[in-house]
Amino acid sequence: MSVVNYDEDVLIKEQGFDDHFHDHHHGDKYQSGFITKYIFSQDHKMIAKQFLITGMMWAIIGAGMSIIFRLQLGFPEDSLAWLKPLLGKWITVNDAGIGTLAPEFYYALVTMHGTILVFFVLTAGLSGTFSNLLIPLQVGARDMASPLLNMLSYWFFFTAGIIMFCSLFLSTGPFAGGWTAYPPLSALPQASDGSGAGMTMWVASLVLFVVSVLLGGINYITTVLNLRTKGMTMWRMPLTIWAFLITAILGLLSFPVLVSALFLVMFDRGLGTSFFLSEIFIGGEALNHVGGSPVLYQHLFWFLGHPEVYIIILPAMGLTSEVLSVHARKPIFGYKAMVFSILAIAFLSFIVWAHHMFMSGVNPFISNFFVIFTLIIAVPSAVKVFNWIATLYGGNIRFVSAMLFAIGFVSLFISGGLTGIFLGNAAIDIQMHDTYFVVAHFHIVMGIAAFFGMFAGIYHWFPKMYGRFMNETLGRIHFWGTMIGAYAIFWPMHYLGMAGVPRRYYRFDNFDTFSHFGQMNQFITIAAIIVFFLQILFVVNFFVSIWKGKRVATKNPWGATTLEWTTPIDGIHGNWPGNIPAVHRWAYDYGKDGVEFIPQIVPLTEKEKENAEDLH
Amino acid sequence: MSDLSYEESKKVVYKGMIVLAVITLLEVAVALVGKGYVIEGLHLPVWLMYVLMIGLSLFKAYYIVYEFMHMKYEVKGLAMSVILPMGLLVWAVVAFFSEGNSWNQRRTLIEKKNAETIDDRPKKSGSIIDLKDVKNLN
Amino acid sequence: MAHDTAHTDVIPEEGHLHHTDYMDSHDGEAWGGGKRPFKASYGKLMMWYFLLSDAFTFAGFLIAYGAIRFSMPSWPVPDHVFSAFPGGKTGWPLIFVTVMTFVLILSSVTMVRAVQEGHRRNKRGVIFWMLLTVIGGAAFLGCQAWEWNTMINVEGVTVTKNPFSSHLDSGTYLTGAEIEGAGYDKVTKDAHGVTATYYIKPGVEDIEENRLFVKQDHHGHVMSGESFSPKDPYLITYNHSTHLYEPSAFKTPDGSIKTEAFGPIAFGSLFFFITGFHGFHVFSGVLFLLIILINVASGLYHNRTNNYEMVEKIGLYWHFVDLVWVFVFLVFYLL
Repeated sequence: MSVVNYDEDVLIKEQGFDDHFHDHHHGDKYQSGFITKYIFSQDHKMIAKQFLITGMMWAIIGAGMSIIFRLQLGFPEDSLAWLKPLLGKWITVNDAGIGTLAPEFYYALVTMHGTILVFFVLTAGLSGTFSNLLIPLQVGARDMASPLLNMLSYWFFFTAGIIMFCSLFLSTGPFAGGWTAYPPLSALPQASDGSGAGMTMWVASLVLFVVSVLLGGINYITTVLNLRTKGMTMWRMPLTIWAFLITAILGLLSFPVLVSALFLVMFDRGLGTSFFLSEIFIGGEALNHVGGSPVLYQHLFWFLGHPEVYIIILPAMGLTSEVLSVHARKPIFGYKAMVFSILAIAFLSFIVWAHHMFMSGVNPFISNFFVIFTLIIAVPSAVKVFNWIATLYGGNIRFVSAMLFAIGFVSLFISGGLTGIFLGNAAIDIQMHDTYFVVAHFHIVMGIAAFFGMFAGIYHWFPKMYGRFMNETLGRIHFWGTMIGAYAIFWPMHYLGMAGVPRRYYRFDNFDTFSHFGQMNQFITIAAIIVFFLQILFVVNFFVSIWKGKRVATKNPWGATTLEWTTPIDGIHGNWPGNIPAVHRWAYDYGKDGVEFIPQIVPLTEKEKENAEDLH
Repeated sequence: MSDLSYEESKKVVYKGMIVLAVITLLEVAVALVGKGYVIEGLHLPVWLMYVLMIGLSLFKAYYIVYEFMHMKYEVKGLAMSVILPMGLLVWAVVAFFSEGNSWNQRRTLIEKKNAETIDDRPKKSGSIIDLKDVKNLN
Repeated sequence: MAHDTAHTDVIPEEGHLHHTDYMDSHDGEAWGGGKRPFKASYGKLMMWYFLLSDAFTFAGFLIAYGAIRFSMPSWPVPDHVFSAFPGGKTGWPLIFVTVMTFVLILSSVTMVRAVQEGHRRNKRGVIFWMLLTVIGGAAFLGCQAWEWNTMINVEGVTVTKNPFSSHLDSGTYLTGAEIEGAGYDKVTKDAHGVTATYYIKPGVEDIEENRLFVKQDHHGHVMSGESFSPKDPYLITYNHSTHLYEPSAFKTPDGSIKTEAFGPIAFGSLFFFITGFHGFHVFSGVLFLLIILINVASGLYHNRTNNYEMVEKIGLYWHFVDLVWVFVFLVFYLL
């Protein structure tokens, strides 16, 4: 296999075009000082790092919470007194020195785990990070369309996080009604401890978060649609960009509906309206509410909630597609099919929301349609899986950490996706609803899988972010441990679910039906603890590598074709020192005509031009 | 942007004003005539009124977006990127409204069944008569 | 005439990177590169996508409105509810809201004119038409304030109370004698210092919900003997002298005596919530218009060579507010 010889600097100088960027930004006052460079930065690469590191902090907090409630589930008899310094009054220590977790706080932990992981980690931390990092670099733009709004997007997210974090320290505890915040627990301040100030702060935090998503999303869409470099047609964009574009569109269209629902909830809480509340007794007292419907909230929530699942998984799919292709040294199989399946998934995600509510009292007639639409999602998903596997087939695979995580993503997406077909059937859902089967399904398919996509992205683009590699040995330990550990945690949960073990319960040992699952729960808890510490290993690897990692020697360490690898190793403001590169080919010319890889900036050869003409 | 001259585009605006005003008047007229406020004894069928009013409103929306917001003069891709996503709401409207309708039907059914139980119990069960029911029957 | 707005921002704004100056400097195919595929500046595109997301917020509210309305057996009849007009007029169905709609349409028209004057770089024209737009917006808000005040203080509709509704079945209003004949006791009582007459079933607690009244219209005319059909509107009259709602008695075809009940409270809460949210958009639109008006007057946009694009962007927002009103008008006032 030969190697194409090219010199980016010459190519960009000759083929690219001069936008006079550096004439306007000579000396660049916008990132000269410490504050404008590292804190209120408007550079997309810095904002990406801010999203990533904030997301990692939240991931540690959210995962730490899951360890606490897993301890409760796995070892309900054992003392948690050692957590007293951390949790304070939420641990009661009896005379014998046995500490027990307050049941209300167990619910708060479950709720916060869900909210934090879904919104702060897998939405902001994943698409926030990689959309920011890769969109301008891969479409060939100097920065986002509006760097100012991009900066604000991060700071709205940050503020949302601060509010949520503060709510953890309320004397009544944070919101404890589940991450979906169904009424009446969310709509009546007196419904439970966390429904008062905790819920108010939860709503405030989420509204700010939505502002952040919208500011980011509008920016991403505009940048992709309007700021592509010369020659970067839509059909030459890498699949990452397609995924980020569609993700941003999903967020743009679905988050506003969540805001609608949250505003209506706030009215029910504060002004005594009855949008989501009908006749209800609380503490023996009949309330004035009449005529509303809690199911209406569920409809509005899941109109966001289901696209949200794809907001989480699509970026991971995009990252995986790119990493698989680069490290298999093969063009992605079925590029257009990949794009169309992303579009199909995005479209379908808006018409299937009520499959989360089969057991909430949705009209069974309308459920039929939701079942059919839901099952159709299997088609584009299967197309993607087939294409990933076909990309791997016969590839010259480099088993680096990034690639391992990308392959792991495919594995998890298959295992988690298959159980989705069970749950999408309204009839089977009667048995499965709100059991650990559901927990296992969505954790594998959109929790762990999205994390794997994210890890693949981090290991792959770390050299772009920091000019250094992450430690490969630690990366592989991280992969194998997490891969085996994740299955060890979630595989048994399918059995628990099929036996009818309900989720969100504080303890099971006093139910005769479920008490024999005690050891299985212990096993899951132990696996979860091991996986948690493996993630700490990753975090250590990440931060140590920023300063101590192996330096990147060339601009294009992975031999990739996309534009980000034509920028200087230590990223500069404006991304390219001189001209903006022009693009001549799609992003997946690997192994073409016996050449290992041909970057997008390399002009077509005479032979290629002839072939292109023949096609027309 | 538009290829119209300043004078022409000015005309378009005032034409737009008249169109929107006339449509609004038409809508109100349909609402009032249809319910017999204007001509004694004349009522339009409800479905016809709904079709007319929804149709006119959609036309008004189209007119505002395409003329006043200049969507007509934008690139087709831009127009489609804004208009097509609105199509996602069609199924939402169908599903939400049919859900609302089904809540109504169920509440009515429950109320009916509740009423039936009280009336039927003494008759159906014959011998088993609650003292409370006897009191109510008197 | 320089009508082409595709040439935008050459003068950099503080804190922004500017791509725009290279975007049009290259020739080529429609998307051969170096040109904006959508031939619009990033600011205008962002405004469009923001409006798209805002449309989904409103869609969320309006679809929730539809679902709740479909779930109610009866619903207030709009031309019965919205029939007041300033100057103490009543019985003018939908006239006032038509005026409000005209005000909003007019302010949209003046906004388009402002944008057009911006395209020909006529600063005085922009200022004149924007000023008219601001006045139109303020007038609409004033109308809305009057309407809300009437709804709350005159008609008695609040977020938790709604005296309007429509009948589920047909019936005939009863006279006092007919009610007594059906076994009710007549009670004449001093309430809040005024004498009130109502009817109550013997042995039933004398509280507001259990009282029956003879049907009167707003002006105190007795309406007994009049009959009505399903879907016909009614209003539980609020008696301003007794401070009581007067649920009137009627007889259904099967002979049972029923009373008019309060309408679905969702009507009031949805009305105030959605028109309030729209009004908030109008209000913030007026504020933005004023800020941009000041900037126009200061000559800020005149120095940019983008034909007052900022005016065009706020114009998009302003038309969107009008667009939302089309649907608010449809679902609250017409249907």
